[in-house]
Amino acid sequence: MKIGKTMWMELKNRWKGFLLFILVVVLLVGGFVQAYPSFSEAFEDELEGSENIDIEVLEDRKNVTVKLSWKEIVDAENYSILVSESANMMAPLDRVDGVENTSHNCSLKYDEKEGFPERYFAVVAVIDEDEKELVGMGMNFERTSPFQEIWGVDYGDIQGFLSILWSTWWILLIGLYIGYISVNLITKDYEEERMDVLLSKPISRRQYLLEKFSIVSLYTLALLVLVGLVLVASAYSLGELNSVSSSALMISSVLSWPVFLVVISISVLAGVYLESSRKAVGVSFIFILIQYGVNMVGDLTEGLEYLKTYTIINYWNYEAALYGEAVSAYDVGFLLVLSAVLIVSALVIFDRKDIPV
Amino acid sequence: MENEVVMKIRGLTKKYGDVVGIKDLDLDVYKGEIMGFLGPNGAGKTTTIRTCLGLLQKTSGDVKIFGLDSHEDSIEIRKRTGYLPGDFGMYPDLKVKSILRYLLSQSGVSDESKMKGLAERLELDLSRKYGNLSKGNKQKVGLVQAFMADQDLIIMDEPTSGLDPLMQQKCYELLREEKEKGKTIFMSSHILAEVEEVCDRVAIIRNAELQVVEEIESLKEKMGKKLEIEFENSVDPSIFAMEGVEDFEMDGRKATMIVTSNLDEVIKKISKQNVINMSLETFSLEQLFLTYYSGGGKG
Repeated sequence: MKIGKTMWMELKNRWKGFLLFILVVVLLVGGFVQAYPSFSEAFEDELEGSENIDIEVLEDRKNVTVKLSWKEIVDAENYSILVSESANMMAPLDRVDGVENTSHNCSLKYDEKEGFPERYFAVVAVIDEDEKELVGMGMNFERTSPFQEIWGVDYGDIQGFLSILWSTWWILLIGLYIGYISVNLITKDYEEERMDVLLSKPISRRQYLLEKFSIVSLYTLALLVLVGLVLVASAYSLGELNSVSSSALMISSVLSWPVFLVVISISVLAGVYLESSRKAVGVSFIFILIQYGVNMVGDLTEGLEYLKTYTIINYWNYEAALYGEAVSAYDVGFLLVLSAVLIVSALVIFDRKDIPV
Repeated sequence: MENEVVMKIRGLTKKYGDVVGIKDLDLDVYKGEIMGFLGPNGAGKTTTIRTCLGLLQKTSGDVKIFGLDSHEDSIEIRKRTGYLPGDFGMYPDLKVKSILRYLLSQSGVSDESKMKGLAERLELDLSRKYGNLSKGNKQKVGLVQAFMADQDLIIMDEPTSGLDPLMQQKCYELLREEKEKGKTIFMSSHILAEVEEVCDRVAIIRNAELQVVEEIESLKEKMGKKLEIEFENSVDPSIFAMEGVEDFEMDGRKATMIVTSNLDEVIKKISKQNVINMSLETFSLEQLFLTYYSGGGKG
């Protein structure tokens, strides 16, 4: 009959903070999704005049030979070839001037001992002393987008882009705030000296703790539904709803709930046990940052992928959800069970605890 | 029923590691009385109260409130018990009214009339934010919440802490009224005058151990007078061995004693000796308490 009163009280006490964070998340999520078109372009970016150049790479045991041929420019006296490690050609590594106009091709040799030379080449036609013209640029390797290189995203689609956002900082942003709130729901009652009175009323300690857990869990769920809606709205505004379905966007967000339930449970447990906001927030943040860090290392380091299996984030397959694939019920179940075990531990500890003055 | 026991404490011991909070406490609190729980700081008053309410686990012993076990049946007990802790805090950003409504509903009570009446009597503005209140006003919120659910037993840890003298008097008035209605009150205090003014009985603890449980009236009767006499010659102490003379001490030609009755007989004995100097001083209850505080009193 008195269920929900404590939840209602916490909502009354914290609604400003709750609302402010919702606003921050909505603005950030909505804002970042607007960066998708530039992300997408990074995959399509072609080198200037690449159609005018042919590059052939010949490898024998000792050398790598790069054979360049290009479209003839009628007015050209001769050609200059610039070689660089980056496409901007600011500081060419090599320069071959005076290639005869009649040949419009050139071979460059590299010692293979130094490893395969990934190079950008620019061919410049010298028309006279004052006039030069870029014939075109090319490269002797398969170019990948920086996103592809770092994050292993295969396509420049919106799903890949959202995966990067989730894995880089949305998890961290929401996780840290939720952890902080969960700790404070408990420790502030100790620190602001109201625990004695609250627990002197005829409600059980279990009910008290479960209501605290529920309010932050429900808040998180509401937040994730809202994030899902913002994703749908953003995809709509970018005209991307034909490449990703609204339901996939919603599921990708809402199904992260079990991950955050584990964060909430750990934080509540830390709050109950440590009694101090500072210490318990420390534990909660360290837990989240370690999870995040280990997951990141596993993501980016070849051979260390197995580390990811030790993080809770790994049990939330947002990529699968975004591509409309089935999300493993086993993974979701594992997170729910883990969260339940943690919260039951908190209940057992709290039930027998001496409430500090 | 007369002398119905509301709180029955037997052999209550609470240890914090090696530190003893309260040791082997036996105490009964009767229905309809105001029991004062007195002792110096750190004596174990708060520990006792908080253990009885199930906020602390007991190391050993047994506490029954309304015949129910303090820890097993604590929810049932708390339905019938109001509590004001020594350090009372609440949500600083919320209005007093909202806080009191919440606490009242937690006690399963929806009638706000007593809450409003108490606030009016204590001149507490319900529309203010708790965090903006002075220490005294915060204490008033604590008092209101302790009484507002109209429960049978009120346990209070230093109820007048932070109140001005006028409000202290109002608080005593409130305590007496509740008692009139048949409520039982168990309150700790370190203000001796307060205990003397409102309590029916007093339990004094020191160093985690109970020193005495006594009715205030009988303590007053026991108080007696402190008599100091300086004789010209040494006298035989045995002449003062009579009923009504306690704590007799003879130091050379100087005698001190507490005379609780038979003063006339004592004076007659003295008059047979040559007296150089004599003083007779009425013992205040405060002095008596202090003797218990310092470990000199007798139960």
